[in-house]
Amino acid sequence: MTTVSNEERAVFAELADVLIPAAEGMPAASDVDVQGAMLDHILGLRPDLAEAFRRGLSAAAGKPPADAAEALNRDDAEALGAIGIVASAGYYMTPAVREVIGYPGQENRPADPDETPEYVANGMLQQVIDRGPIFVPTPEA
Amino acid sequence: MARMQKGRDPADVLIIGAGASGSVAAAHLARAGVDVVCLEQGPRVDNAEFYGDKPEWELMAQKRWHPNPNVRDLENDYPINTDASAVNPLMYNAVGGSTILYAAHWQRFMPSDFRVKTLDGVADDWPFTYEDLEPYYSRMDEEFGVSGLAGDPAYPPHRDYPLPPMPIGRIGMKAAEGMNKLGWHWWPGPNSVPSRDYRGRNQCVRYGTCLTGCPHKAKASTDHTHWPMALENGARLVTGARVREITVDAQGLANGATYIDRNGREAHQRAGIVIVCCNGVGTPRLLLMSASKHHPDGLANSSGLVGRNLMMHPYAAVTGTFDEPLESWLGPAGQSIQSMQFYETDTSRGFVRGAKWGVMPSGGPLGLRAAYGGKALDEAWGANLHRNTRKVFGRSFEWGIIAEDLPDEDNRVTLDPELTDSDGLPAPKLIYKNSDNTKRMLDFHVARAEEAMEAAGAASISSTKLMRDCGWHLMGTARMGDDPTRSVVDQYGKSHDVPNLYIYDGSVFVTSSGFNPTGTITAIALRAVEHLIENRSHAKAACSHSKVMS
Ligand SMILES: Cc1cc2nc3c(=O)[nH]c(=O)nc-3n(C[C@H](O)[C@H](O)[C@H](O)COP(=O)(O)OP(=O)(O)OC[C@H]3O[C@@H](n4cnc5c(N)ncnc54)[C@H](O)[C@@H]3O)c2cc1C
Ligand code: SF4
Repeated sequence: MTTVSNEERAVFAELADVLIPAAEGMPAASDVDVQGAMLDHILGLRPDLAEAFRRGLSAAAGKPPADAAEALNRDDAEALGAIGIVASAGYYMTPAVREVIGYPGQENRPADPDETPEYVANGMLQQVIDRGPIFVPTPEA
Repeated sequence: MARMQKGRDPADVLIIGAGASGSVAAAHLARAGVDVVCLEQGPRVDNAEFYGDKPEWELMAQKRWHPNPNVRDLENDYPINTDASAVNPLMYNAVGGSTILYAAHWQRFMPSDFRVKTLDGVADDWPFTYEDLEPYYSRMDEEFGVSGLAGDPAYPPHRDYPLPPMPIGRIGMKAAEGMNKLGWHWWPGPNSVPSRDYRGRNQCVRYGTCLTGCPHKAKASTDHTHWPMALENGARLVTGARVREITVDAQGLANGATYIDRNGREAHQRAGIVIVCCNGVGTPRLLLMSASKHHPDGLANSSGLVGRNLMMHPYAAVTGTFDEPLESWLGPAGQSIQSMQFYETDTSRGFVRGAKWGVMPSGGPLGLRAAYGGKALDEAWGANLHRNTRKVFGRSFEWGIIAEDLPDEDNRVTLDPELTDSDGLPAPKLIYKNSDNTKRMLDFHVARAEEAMEAAGAASISSTKLMRDCGWHLMGTARMGDDPTRSVVDQYGKSHDVPNLYIYDGSVFVTSSGFNPTGTITAIALRAVEHLIENRSHAKAACSHSKVMS
């Protein structure tokens, strides 16, 4: 399991905010703490991301975050990709963010199988039926 | 070198591969009292392993539950060299096979699909007709618990589905409105997910995560539809058993298979009859790996067609984004509605054959990000990320287009000279490109689907002409036919060369149609296995003890 240092978390938070800033009524990535426990959770589930993720962070350390993100996008797309996945996955898994975008998550919402479908009740499907068969039958042997 | 273990008790019938076709064969053979062993390289999957009901779903869909075995890279997967292939083959290797991840669009082929030579002068006719297969289609609808609405004018009338259709959702209603404006065909899509509790499976609750495994034990994967019946009737299922060779006796009959277990030990399973169900890539791979002095080009390959005529259904997608919320994450996924408006040949379009369209939901907010790789930073990220998510998320759906891919002997599965799986067995290498007919077909269909999106009122439309990760359907690499010089097996899956060796999976397809194939794969498997059971007294078998012979 990857242990992420506080310095790395700080660099990640800055980069994540370049990718996911506070704008358009949405919080920034660091506002929902993508650099905290969520980061460990994600790397625990996706250890395959760790190497490129950390490579990106070490390349970005000490640089202005916007410039560092541009440089990674140009020179090491895999690293920026890993940072982007970790940031956006953490962001969109956060309940507060889901609430703002109106996403309840993949829902358990069974339908009533006995309900007459709207397209039957309102005659929409009948238009298709009225046009008749559209298949070419099996030719005679 | 692997250590050779003592073999297990011989079986009447050995099935290799516990996916869609292998499961149907095992269940029916066992129910008929035949002693069956099935060797499957993968494990059993527990529904609790799936992430569809958890927030981490999309994160895990990109790796652990990705449909491309090269991305997943699990021990039960084998790597596939795709350097020379325009499309990546997709599959899952476990009990249930690729039905673990399939979207459960449950389709029949149309009558013309079986007669493309007669009707369109291309490829070959199948050795049987739609009408011959029809009773088996209906029985598979029953066994898989298909939810759908009878009366689709794209087909001759057939028996109603056992379960009422799944809801088509707001996305389906939008798409249907567009199709009605244009006077084009649409129909609620049949899905092998149960709209009510059905034979030990739960009613689908619409997580919409069918493509990464159903966490609710609803979807008709064959670990749930057929393995309980097979095991109850005494079938023996050996997991973690990767077959490296089908063995042949001095009489030229298949007498079993050698496999490697998950401890690296080698063992031999003896059997009177061998049925290969490893899918359109795994089956030719195994037959080619089973080359020997008497079969230098691979087993059952006197025609030279083992591995050739690979068909993988090139797939295009037209995505529309709408101003109003459509809850487009709701399942099943699964298809909402389908259209066969442009399925049949019209030569004035500049190509023959056609494609099925299906409306699919678009998932969660993270999946939408997948297409952004390689773009300018501020286009994909920053404030634009929020704008795009607001615009697209929950408000978009796709018309997916499955193009009929005609057989071409140059599209093929071979053995890679270097790449191996975790047991050191040669990996398959794919050589696959799209024909001009396919390219013209995709251009035409994408243009029509864009019109359909426009008619539905889409605010913006984007199209992908050929998705690389679209090899869901693996077909044609051990084709059936009457002529042993032009086919590998007969219409009941029996090898022309080795009279007790059978193939039941998608490899036997003569042409691909433009439909998702599993309804047809399983109907063909059922027809073949019932023929074997009925004719058991004449069937050739390698072991004298075989009850199949009695
Ligand atoms: C993501 C995805 C979505 C799909 N969606 C749909 C859909 O909506 N509708 C539809 O009709 N079809 C769909 N398909 C296709 C469908 O899953 C396949 O058509 C079907 O499962 C093929 O059945 P099969 O018996 O040919 O092979 P499979 O189901 O692939 O089973 C083959 C089995 O053989 C085993 N095997 C292979 N080699 C060996 C060996 N050497 N030793 C031991 N075991 C071996 C494998 O581990 C596997 O379990 C989809 C597929 C995928 C991957
Ligand atoms: S939509 Fe239904 S079948 Fe698909 S994963 Fe959800 S519960 Fe399972």
